[in-house]
Amino acid sequence: MSQFLLVLVSGVASGAVYGLMGLGLVIIYRATDVVNFAMASLATLGLYVAVSLHDRGVATVFGLLAAVAVTVAAGLLVRETVIRPLGQGQLFSALVVTMGVSLIAENLAGSVWGEQPRDFPSLVDGTVRWSGAALPVQSLVTIGVAALAMALVGYLFARTTLGSAMRAVAESPATARVVGLGAQRLARISWALGLGLAALAGCLYAPRSGLATTALTAPLFRAFAGIFLGGLTSMYGAVVGGLAIGVLDNLAANYVSASFRDTFVFSFTVLVLLIRPQGLFGTRTFQRV
Amino acid sequence: MFRTISRFRRVAGTTAVLAALALTASACAGQDSASASSSSAEIHIGAWLPLTGSTATYGVAEKVGADAYFKMLNAQGGINGRKVEWTVKDNAADPQQTVQIARELVGQDKVVAIVNANGTAQAEAAFPFVLNQSKVPVLNEVGGTENWYKPPRAGLFGTQTLYEDQAAAVAAWAVQDGAKKILVVHSDPAAFVNVAEQVAPVAKKADPSVEVDRLPVKYQTTDYTPVISKVKAAKPQAVILILTSPEAAAFLKEAKLQGLSLPTYAYAPVAAESTIALAKDAAEGLKAVQLVKAPSDDDPAVKEFRTAMAKYEPGQTAGFLALWGWSNAKVFAEIAKTVKGPVTAQSLTAAYQKASKVDTGVSPVMSFSASSHLGTRSVQKVVVKNGVWTSVGDFYTPPARG
Repeated sequence: MSQFLLVLVSGVASGAVYGLMGLGLVIIYRATDVVNFAMASLATLGLYVAVSLHDRGVATVFGLLAAVAVTVAAGLLVRETVIRPLGQGQLFSALVVTMGVSLIAENLAGSVWGEQPRDFPSLVDGTVRWSGAALPVQSLVTIGVAALAMALVGYLFARTTLGSAMRAVAESPATARVVGLGAQRLARISWALGLGLAALAGCLYAPRSGLATTALTAPLFRAFAGIFLGGLTSMYGAVVGGLAIGVLDNLAANYVSASFRDTFVFSFTVLVLLIRPQGLFGTRTFQRV
Repeated sequence: MFRTISRFRRVAGTTAVLAALALTASACAGQDSASASSSSAEIHIGAWLPLTGSTATYGVAEKVGADAYFKMLNAQGGINGRKVEWTVKDNAADPQQTVQIARELVGQDKVVAIVNANGTAQAEAAFPFVLNQSKVPVLNEVGGTENWYKPPRAGLFGTQTLYEDQAAAVAAWAVQDGAKKILVVHSDPAAFVNVAEQVAPVAKKADPSVEVDRLPVKYQTTDYTPVISKVKAAKPQAVILILTSPEAAAFLKEAKLQGLSLPTYAYAPVAAESTIALAKDAAEGLKAVQLVKAPSDDDPAVKEFRTAMAKYEPGQTAGFLALWGWSNAKVFAEIAKTVKGPVTAQSLTAAYQKASKVDTGVSPVMSFSASSHLGTRSVQKVVVKNGVWTSVGDFYTPPARG
């Protein structure tokens, strides 16, 4: 029982990270029709800044805030300089551009900070014992912080004017413009929010994995699996999908095979998509031909 | 219609002529490089290294280590009065790029040997042009597999104890320490599986009552919680890690969190500074094997390395990987010193075939022959003590495998 609890908590913590990243991806995708492959690499730049500040004696929490700020700034720079000129609805061009930006950001990080993997500071150390299991406090903090961030995002979109405007732009940019909503301003806010969530996810993930230029690539791909599982256009789907991927991944590693954990998780995702192509929470779209 | 056919014929004819010219030029290039020799003032050698990309950690460190050695050597007068010019090109760990670099090094730069390059797949991509066509030797490459040396290939000489022999060494070490039940935790790609499979035969040869199990783990796993649960359930007396350095660090951190305390052994890729940097105090007591002595040793040869690094590569880490580069450069220099007359691809190959008891002081004593192109099977045992890799005893040759 204690081992099951340990594996479950660890899976939920990993899933929370995937869920946060997935949420960021969905927010950006819904607002600007961009599948942002550069999200993880841009967040990695922020994490390196956080480590540099930590090495200079700055408190970890301020380092994390700096990571979020740098990632948001880098993301906005990318959007304004290389994504926005493409225009609305250029899904595949934008996809390729973000892939290119991702490689550039990785090389930049490697050039500035080196390729040697580095330790990333935990917010908290130690364990708490519960039902015989020694649960890492960092995992519990990860779950708590991610839950708080997701709740705030939910509140923003459900209860605020800004959130309503962002949803309106996501539904129909042209109509939103007619009623006086600034589509570009809202797109910038969406990018900032999405990248901020990615940086936060990175800060919660890196204490376990260490920091390298490609450290966030694996969680990004699991986040993608999560949003396809949950539904590409659904924010709830991104969170639930991410959590499902994290938990299934760990349960599969423990009870099936540590080697076939990915195979199991992605087989499950494929199976769900075969039955429900729009994902668990996505809406089915129809196009006239 | 007729105009189209006529144009097609013209294009086809031109293409055929160009292809013939290219083949002739290529053949000439091969002949040139085979007989190329360094000028009387210098010995020109080259290497492909991953200076960017995912394995740049290895390439950059290997480069600065070898650079420090060659700079020191040149300041002392070089090899028999000839300076060494070592041209390094970044292949970003890409096999296709390596082939292009090999053509530049051999065809344009006229190097007489490839020395201290890096990468198994990368080198294999370049072998047809470098070894077979150009007859330029590939010396002291970091990487490689058993079939590179069995049977020996003309012009290919290695200084790195095979991963399989490293696994044999840690297996024997664990049995010597009294372990009766060993669990090998390894990544799942074939390269890791092959190494992990070497543990059981050697352990059973040392003590037939020893039980050995394997636990394959998905490559690049970061969450080791379920893996540690499985290790606990298996109740081994020792664990052998055939993982990358970040994976091993993740294993050690999670083991410490879950209160798992077992004698843990690893092969050379884990015996890296990055393992300690990532795992911190969870790495304390980790035992591993290495290709060279620990860079922190008081040994005079290691001190010389640290001094040269501080002088010629200030700001760079004088770690294991840099010491690999240093050691490979020194092996080359020691053997090249025995060449009488012009230093050519052929004379270097002949010198390597006759080289015996090449002692760098930092790596095992190397011996080569016409039938044995791998200089050593020995390793250095190292342990993490007070957060630093520390050598244990002298170089150790593992029992024969199979």
